Amino acid sequence: MARILLFGAGASGARIARQLRSSGVVNELEIRDPNAPRLGELVAALGDGAESGVGRRVTGAPDVVVVASPAGTQVALARRAVHQGIPVVTTSNQTSEVRRLLTLDEEARYRSVPVVVGAGFMPGLTCLLARHGAREFDEIDEIHVAKAGTGGPACARQHHRALSSTGIDWRDGRWTRRAGGSGRELAWFPDPVGGRDCYRAALPDALLLVPHFERVQRVTARQAATRNDRFTAPLPMLRRPHAEGGIGAIRVELRGRVGLERRVSVYGATERPAVATGAMAATAVLHVLAGDLEPGAAGLAGTEDTVSMLRTLATRGVKPVRFEGVSTFV
Amino acid sequence: MPNHREAPVGGGIITLARRALVAIAVAVAFAAGIRVRGSGGIPPQTGGWRELRGDDLR
Repeated sequence: MARILLFGAGASGARIARQLRSSGVVNELEIRDPNAPRLGELVAALGDGAESGVGRRVTGAPDVVVVASPAGTQVALARRAVHQGIPVVTTSNQTSEVRRLLTLDEEARYRSVPVVVGAGFMPGLTCLLARHGAREFDEIDEIHVAKAGTGGPACARQHHRALSSTGIDWRDGRWTRRAGGSGRELAWFPDPVGGRDCYRAALPDALLLVPHFERVQRVTARQAATRNDRFTAPLPMLRRPHAEGGIGAIRVELRGRVGLERRVSVYGATERPAVATGAMAATAVLHVLAGDLEPGAAGLAGTEDTVSMLRTLATRGVKPVRFEGVSTFV
Repeated sequence: MPNHREAPVGGGIITLARRALVAIAVAVAFAAGIRVRGSGGIPPQTGGWRELRGDDLR
C-alpha cells in the first residue's frame, strides 16, 4: 500500500484523488489546496484514507507526489520532491513550465526517481498514444496532435492564454516559433466531438515528443477554437470560466514508413478532459509505484511498456480509439 | 458653377489619399473575413473509430 501527496483539489485534482482512492493501491492520500472549502468537501467525499494538509512543502514521506495545481505553480513543488528523492507526476500543459520541468532530468536521474511531465489528456495520453502507435512503424516522420475541450477553470484560462501566445513546432529538424491562432486545420476527432477547426497555440507537446522520436521531421500541436475564441484571445477572459467544460477529445496522427510503404495512423480518445486527466495521472502514479518508469524527467512518450499502461488506463475508464479505413484527410 | 476639374491645388493628393484609405479598408475587411471564416475542410468519407483491442494491445 502507498502514501500519496496530491497538490491541487480542482477539477483535475479531484478526479485524480478519486481514481487513486478507488485503485486499491493507495491507502493514504494527503491533499493540499489553498481553497479550504473546496479541499474540505473533497476530503469529506473521499472518506477514510484521505486527509487535508497545509502548505507547499513536501512532508510526510509520501511514495509519490502528484502535482495538479494550476499551471505556473508546478515546478517549485516538483523540484522540492525531487530534492528529497521522491517520484513526481505533474499535469502541466504550459509550455514554459514543461520546459522547466524537463530541466529536472539531470537531478532526477542522479536521485534515481522518475518525474512524469504532463500526465494529462494532452499532453499525457497524446504522448502515450504516439509512442504506442509508433511501434508499428519502421520510422516516424511526422506527429500531429490536437485537442478539443477544456477541464476546470484553470484549464480554461490556460487554453485562452495559449491561443494568443506563441506556439512551438518541430519542423525539418529544428524548432520553429508559430503565432497562436494561426494555421487553421480541420481535425476530425472521435465521436461525438467530430470535426473541429484547430489552430496553433502555445502547447508543450512538441517539447515532450521530439526527444523520444529519433529522426522525426515534423511535430505540431493544435487546439480547437471557435471564432469567438479567436477574436477574444488577446483580451482577458471576459467572463468566469465554467466549473468544468463538456466532453473533449484528442487526436494523434502519425506519419511514417513501414518497409517501403508510407503509412498514416490516427489515434484518439474522447472524454471530459478533467476526467481523462484524472485517469491518466492516476495510471502514471500506479506505474511509478510499480517501478515501471525509468528515472529522469520526461513525458509519457518515454514509456517503454505502453500496452501495460493503456490497459491500466482502460480499467480507469478511458479507452482510446483508432481510426480505421481509408480517409480523404490522410 | 465650379467644375471638379478646377479643384484647388492639393485636391488631387487628398483624393488619392482617400482612395488609398478606402482600398486599405476594403483589403483589411476582406483579409479579416478570410481569416475568420477560412475555407472548408473535407471530413473523412469512409472508415470509422474503433476501440483499441486485441492486436493493438499486444
